[in-house]
Amino acid sequence: MHKNKLWTNFVLILILTIFALLIDIPRLPSWFPLHGWFTDQKVHLGLDLQGGTQLTYQTNTSDLPADQRAAAVEGARDVIERRVNVFGVSEPLVQTAKSGDEWRIIIELPGIKNVNEAIKMIGETPTLEFKEEAPAKVLTDQEKKEIAQYNINAQKKASDVLAKALKPGADFAALANQYSDDPGTQGQGGDLGWFSRGVMVKEFEDAAFTLKKGQIAKTLTKTEFGYHIIKKTDERTTDDAKEEIRASHILIKTESEAAIAAGGGWAYTGLTGKQLKSATMTFNPQTSEPEISLEFNAEGAKLFADITARNVDKPVAIFLDGYAISIPTVKEAITSGKAVISGKFGVQEAKDLAQRLSAGALPVPIKLISQESIGPSLGQIAVQKSIVAGVIGFLAVVIFMVVFYGLNGLIASLALLIYALINLALYKLIPVTLTLAGIAGFILSIGMAVDANVLIFERIKDERRLGKTGTTVIDDGFRHAWTAIRDSNITTLIACFILYEFGTGLVRGFGLTLGIGVLLSMFSAITVTRVILKLFVYKK
Amino acid sequence: MYNIVGKNKILLSISAVLVGASILALTLWGLKPGIDFTGGTIMEINYTNERPTATTINEELKGLNLGQIDIRYSGDNGVILRFTETNEQVHQEILQKLGQPEETRYESIGPTIGKELTGKATWAVVLVLAAILLYLVWAFRRLSRVVKKGESWRYGAGAMLALFHDVIVMLGLFAVLGHFRGTEINSTFIVAILTVLGYSVNDTIVIYDRVRENLLVDGWRDFRNTVNRSLNETIVRSLGTTVTVIVAILAVYLFGGESTRDFILAMIAGVATGAWSTIAIACPFLLLKRK
Repeated sequence: MHKNKLWTNFVLILILTIFALLIDIPRLPSWFPLHGWFTDQKVHLGLDLQGGTQLTYQTNTSDLPADQRAAAVEGARDVIERRVNVFGVSEPLVQTAKSGDEWRIIIELPGIKNVNEAIKMIGETPTLEFKEEAPAKVLTDQEKKEIAQYNINAQKKASDVLAKALKPGADFAALANQYSDDPGTQGQGGDLGWFSRGVMVKEFEDAAFTLKKGQIAKTLTKTEFGYHIIKKTDERTTDDAKEEIRASHILIKTESEAAIAAGGGWAYTGLTGKQLKSATMTFNPQTSEPEISLEFNAEGAKLFADITARNVDKPVAIFLDGYAISIPTVKEAITSGKAVISGKFGVQEAKDLAQRLSAGALPVPIKLISQESIGPSLGQIAVQKSIVAGVIGFLAVVIFMVVFYGLNGLIASLALLIYALINLALYKLIPVTLTLAGIAGFILSIGMAVDANVLIFERIKDERRLGKTGTTVIDDGFRHAWTAIRDSNITTLIACFILYEFGTGLVRGFGLTLGIGVLLSMFSAITVTRVILKLFVYKK
Repeated sequence: MYNIVGKNKILLSISAVLVGASILALTLWGLKPGIDFTGGTIMEINYTNERPTATTINEELKGLNLGQIDIRYSGDNGVILRFTETNEQVHQEILQKLGQPEETRYESIGPTIGKELTGKATWAVVLVLAAILLYLVWAFRRLSRVVKKGESWRYGAGAMLALFHDVIVMLGLFAVLGHFRGTEINSTFIVAILTVLGYSVNDTIVIYDRVRENLLVDGWRDFRNTVNRSLNETIVRSLGTTVTVIVAILAVYLFGGESTRDFILAMIAGVATGAWSTIAIACPFLLLKRK
């Protein structure tokens, strides 16, 4: 029965090792089952190995009531994270850390090239702005002439495209993709989908509904948007006996004096996040949809009253960080100093937005207190050299063990190899961010694993000297070595725990890798070595 | 069986000389704190063409208010600059004035971070030491019951003494390196110290474990002999492990990157003294004021 159990353990170890090996291999061939999942497991390298920048910001929360500090810093963190995401860094990390009474924001930007730009972008305080429609623009004669010329050109172009579309065998969809100015249908062959009467502009509809299925209108259709070339692709009658058609179009845009005069953009009103007292997520009592309630301070309330008074029945846009996030139409002047941003928000989205607005409204001034950049080449060299050094170091250990302990040493080396494979797989799975300090922790844990093996072999030698034979030698050897292995490893684990809990950065990484290593080394020395020794060396 | 315990005096004197020299170096030269501790800026740049001389660089950067600029060459075209903490704007100006060389490393750290790092590291080390001491006292509690009241505290104290010895020697080594080679201590140095703490305790525990085992078998008849026997029984594995670990780290020292050299050197020194202090300090301490 003993033998069976050993073989079971051996097979389990083998499976575990193969599994770890599959995770360790950077890229598996595509015919391999689940190769995608295995290949997706990546080693997370710290900035010192990968290259990149770490920025540490100090926040000044002294003006805020104590219970709002954490939320304000979190809000600032969110804003920064959004800014960083816009910047397009892969796997950025934005964290808050409390140190004494002070809140910090730590930003890691792996592989970033333009640190200067990033710092500028992060450093801007978040902005919230209320804007009103800019007054209508008066067009000069010159501008009117240019518009007219533009429209003549457009008509000519549209006629040309129509001629192409009407040629036998012409590919309408391809022409649409090539010429159409309609961003909504571009890349879809100009397809507008199904629609019934009353959905589209009248001129367009009149033209489209007179067509037969598959027919292209012989003439151009002019609407306020420009010239349309229309093709009816399909027709159907809905369940409630409504006629629906499906059509594609090619749009050649024109410009109109009226549209240009009106679309003057948005004008600054002076109402910004500075005058915001608070922002909270609330629910609309009628629709019970989430909204964001804003409350202005006295100055803001007055400004808001003025803005709403002069913009009745007109839109007022709410801009966050330069983007219009909501454009409600004013129904009446609001003098209460309260505003609501509604829109199709999810609860979480609304909550986040309120938090961000609060951050913009309650500015947490941030100051860059530490900047660390490692060039990508330096990091790469460090990784390459570490790998070479690791392999050479491992081989040196193997040679040493074989010279001193012969066959036992070889088995210990095998156990060590299994240990290293599983360890690396764990780094990928957990995941552990590997830094130089982490590698130091790993090397030390190899030392501990070697130590455990050596302890066991020395003990086994002792037992044989006492005249014992067979598997008793191994069992007694292990039993005697165990107390020393246990005590030394437990002290190390305690140390790792403290380093992980109380340490920062490097020290924390060291504690983590050493801790994982020690736990695994106990498994490798006690289980792996023992099973192999019993199965293949001391068979009796 | 070698009479290792009989050579106690010689072993202790060697350690005393080591510790004495370390303390002397520390008082004479002290440690060279890096910017991690003091705040400041370290900047490594590489020139594609010929690098300018230190005087030229100093001349170029005059007027940027960088304080004392320490300029060192590294490799063939590299320059390492050290100066006061500065902001991003000045950083860009420096790069421009130096003709936009390739920048491999830039760290600018405020003094508060340094203070905090020192504080936290000290606390972590103190906590680790206290925890190790308490665990040892607990792990050897049987000796207190069977052999003598309070006996297990001696083992805890012995391991601590060996630790202090190792740490002082390592600090001494870095005082020497700092004086002659300008080696600075930074946060990786703290990691090295922690590594050494871990290894040294590990090594001491293995021998203490053997003493405990033998003591429980032999009884209190000839403690001196028991300790000596335990040392003899474990010294081969102690040397074996130490050599193995040093061989592994040596590979990293020789083939790993330049940036980790000092760190690895600290680890090699620490592992060596860790094994040494077990024999020269931890074991003799068990015999102190005893027949």
